[in-house]
Amino acid sequence: MRKLLRTIFLVDLIQGLWVTFRNQHPKNIYTEQYPAQRPRIAERFRGAPRLNINPETGETLCIACDLCALACPENLIVVSSERNKQTRRKELTTFTYDTSRCMFCGLCEDACPVDALELTQDFELASYTREGAIWDRQMLEEGPKPTWYRY
Amino acid sequence: METTPWESELTERLRRVFGEQILEFASYLGQNFLVARPEAVVPILQYLRDEVGFDYLVDVTAVDYPEREERFDLIYIVYSFSRNERIRIKTRIREGFEPQTATVVHPTANWLEREVYDMFGIRFAQHPDMRRILLPDDWEGHPLRKDYNILDMDNRWVKDNLGIESGQ
Amino acid sequence: MPEATFLDANELILNMGPQHPSTHGVLRVILKLDGEKILGTECVIGYLHRGVEKIGENRTYAMFAPYVDRMDYVAAVSNGLGYCLAVEKLLNVEAPPRAQAVRVILTELNRIASHLLWLGTHALDIGAITPLFYVMREREEILNIFEAYCGARLTTHAFRIGGLQYEVYEGMEKQVKAFCKMFLPRVDEYEELLTENRIWKDRLVGVGVLTAEQCKQYGVTGPMLRAAGVKWDIRKAQPYSGYEKYDFEIPTRTNGDTYDRYIVRIQEMRQSVRMIEQAVDDIPEGPIMAKVGKVIKPPVGEAYVSIEAPKGELGYFIVSDGSTQPYRVRVRPPSFVNLQALDTMARGGLVADIVAIIGTIDIVLGEIDR
Repeated sequence: MRKLLRTIFLVDLIQGLWVTFRNQHPKNIYTEQYPAQRPRIAERFRGAPRLNINPETGETLCIACDLCALACPENLIVVSSERNKQTRRKELTTFTYDTSRCMFCGLCEDACPVDALELTQDFELASYTREGAIWDRQMLEEGPKPTWYRY
Repeated sequence: METTPWESELTERLRRVFGEQILEFASYLGQNFLVARPEAVVPILQYLRDEVGFDYLVDVTAVDYPEREERFDLIYIVYSFSRNERIRIKTRIREGFEPQTATVVHPTANWLEREVYDMFGIRFAQHPDMRRILLPDDWEGHPLRKDYNILDMDNRWVKDNLGIESGQ
Repeated sequence: MPEATFLDANELILNMGPQHPSTHGVLRVILKLDGEKILGTECVIGYLHRGVEKIGENRTYAMFAPYVDRMDYVAAVSNGLGYCLAVEKLLNVEAPPRAQAVRVILTELNRIASHLLWLGTHALDIGAITPLFYVMREREEILNIFEAYCGARLTTHAFRIGGLQYEVYEGMEKQVKAFCKMFLPRVDEYEELLTENRIWKDRLVGVGVLTAEQCKQYGVTGPMLRAAGVKWDIRKAQPYSGYEKYDFEIPTRTNGDTYDRYIVRIQEMRQSVRMIEQAVDDIPEGPIMAKVGKVIKPPVGEAYVSIEAPKGELGYFIVSDGSTQPYRVRVRPPSFVNLQALDTMARGGLVADIVAIIGTIDIVLGEIDR
């Protein structure tokens, strides 16, 4: 009998619709208005790579130890260095990082002994060409410059 | 591999039934396994299922050792719900040997054996549907063999089907 | 299945996929039909094959960890946990208690995320559109926790061999607790939408039945096995990563049909919340990394370790030859084995039910094809 009444009065349907209506209140809006509104990125987010420079002297922190290149599963980091005759220390000449093959696992960042290589919170990595995804030392130090849209 | 011998009431029973067919009972890191002759594997699986209660075939896989004369290790993992125990059955086979299929005992072996064939080129005798499963049907070569380099591929297939010289 | 080229006047071969929205990826199913009745199915898989096992043989142990996340990408944390446990078994080390507790929290959150995505897409396949939006909203909260903890949302690479790389972030306990508190009423909400809904029941009850006996024959594990009445869960049967410390139930049902699997998964989400609440209240202090050394070099040997992934038993069989690279990595994927039972479940059913049956297996093609 109860089942019959439930069937006639469409109780299950109304129950479901009530949930839908309850969730229509404006305070339940969940959509983010990207790119007008910037999303909040977690501090530990692994995004675009960056080569840190010493803010006081402007020199790179990288000591060209090649550990990041050895740790990378995809072998996408190439580091080349030159030995300075006077100080007898290795100095970084070029550093290339192929973001098109990168899976942002963070192993290079973990391997870096001086915190020079870092995966940052930048996430807009699109590029018009394949070559544009291969970042050289200058790009890595300055960071990506995504297009800013206006409305 | 430093194994320790595996002795229990189950090994006694298996030794009684299969005798010389089982070459070794061993245990490594607390995981028990037995090494059997290739012909004995399916009867052992049958016996374990019907008499002991190992009613769930977890996995069938292979390992390639190209420098050995009996080139492949074939590994069956079985589990018993009633005993809460997992054991491995290992057997060594040479290139070209066709082991009997386990599908008659455990239907789940069907796809698992097809994958072993696909990746290692081990054909299973009397298998109901011995075709490749993951790679295309007309692909040449078996990728998980040790002489198949990670950069290797069937260049003819890639050229015919994708119209490019190489996938690299 | 019978020869597919044979065509009787009453039989029709219908190709479904690989580009079909309800196959959840690139699964191709060849259906043999008699009118609306399914006479047999054949799955064609491999469109997403990337050779993960071969990659594993050519990478060091630490380097391979990010790749396993890309198999079952909806439950990346579970995949990572299974791999780390397998290598730890070979090394004969155990992660410290603090690492184990964090691992349990993240894996259970991941189980909820995976079940949520399953619920949303499964309901969408059946025709209920609303739940998809709700589950995505809740899943977002879980992904935010992942992002804050380890820096990635989907393919997380959260764990390292021997323990954890990242310490618990500030406010994690609070965020996880808030999620648990918010989530339980939401599960009731999903149930309000679906459980007693007549259309939902008509589409699911009695569809795709798999008995306990058939489950064992086909090696089907996970929620599908539990819906058939077998009270078996690796977290209870062979506990790993400290699961024996937590108090939880294994939800089971008896009919083994699609509706029962839905109920089992909903109950599992509640049990996961229960476990997370216990774990987060009591994260032990201490180190987060066991002593494994910088270069991971397990002794010659082999080990099979399996965990209860959201989809079933996920196993890793690793053979080591004493070098820094594994000699062989075999993954026992739950979706691959479970999908094999599709033919048994679909045979004799209607063609409209195939969508419900594919959905109920909870497949992820990245894991099937590897």
